[in-house]
Amino acid sequence: MDLPVSLSTGTGYWNPLAWLLATVIAAVIVYLIWQRGESGYKKGTAQTAPFISGNPEPGKEMVHVRASNLYWGYLDALKGYYERIVPAHTGVVNDYVLWYLGVTALLMVVVVVFI
Amino acid sequence: MKLTPSFNRSLWAFHFNSGSCNGCEIEIVAAITPRYDPERFGIKLVGSPRHADVMVVTGPVVKKMKDRLIRVYNQIPDPKLVMCVGTCGISGGVFYDSYNLEGPVDEVIPVDVYVPGCPPRPEAIIHGVVAAWAKLERLEGGSA
Repeated sequence: MDLPVSLSTGTGYWNPLAWLLATVIAAVIVYLIWQRGESGYKKGTAQTAPFISGNPEPGKEMVHVRASNLYWGYLDALKGYYERIVPAHTGVVNDYVLWYLGVTALLMVVVVVFI
Repeated sequence: MKLTPSFNRSLWAFHFNSGSCNGCEIEIVAAITPRYDPERFGIKLVGSPRHADVMVVTGPVVKKMKDRLIRVYNQIPDPKLVMCVGTCGISGGVFYDSYNLEGPVDEVIPVDVYVPGCPPRPEAIIHGVVAAWAKLERLEGGSA
């Protein structure tokens, strides 16, 4: 089986060896840049703490962006919907069964009366 | 003490205003203009203490800035030098008996180079940087 084949598409080509070579070259360049960096920081001291213009580092709970924050605009836009739906989700199975029975009864009425 | 090879090529400074009137800042900015162009020797201001070799402090240390000055000083990797630019940082200057002063810079953190003046001229600031560089080279040789 001829593994290192070149796949020509008309607009370019794909060769796994070329990609491997490019990856190795990129990795070497990254390593050389990283190697020239400052390595004298003392771990566990202020030298490795983030620089916030001299202000103390706030606790993680103060700066952590919760996943729900990403949906803030979505939740705000559908606020009218969520304000009704969220309280209905009580977590009590009896409530869910009542909703199920109620909706089923309503559908039955619709089906029997109108269809 | 062994310095990193980067000291052989450049000296990066981080500026900290601990309560200055901005006069020294104006002269520091003047010192890095093309008229003097210290960057051709690798001397430049950096935006983070974690990149700095020298801390350039201006102004007397006011109470609000003491903790921040110590914190930023501790964030600079070793070996590091502190350069005090201006009379206020050296002695308190005209604010020496002010109620909201913690004191001169060297009462809060150790200072290696003093550049007097109100404000000092750019030539004096550059001379101070050269003195700091010389001290770093002595540190490199282990004789400081």
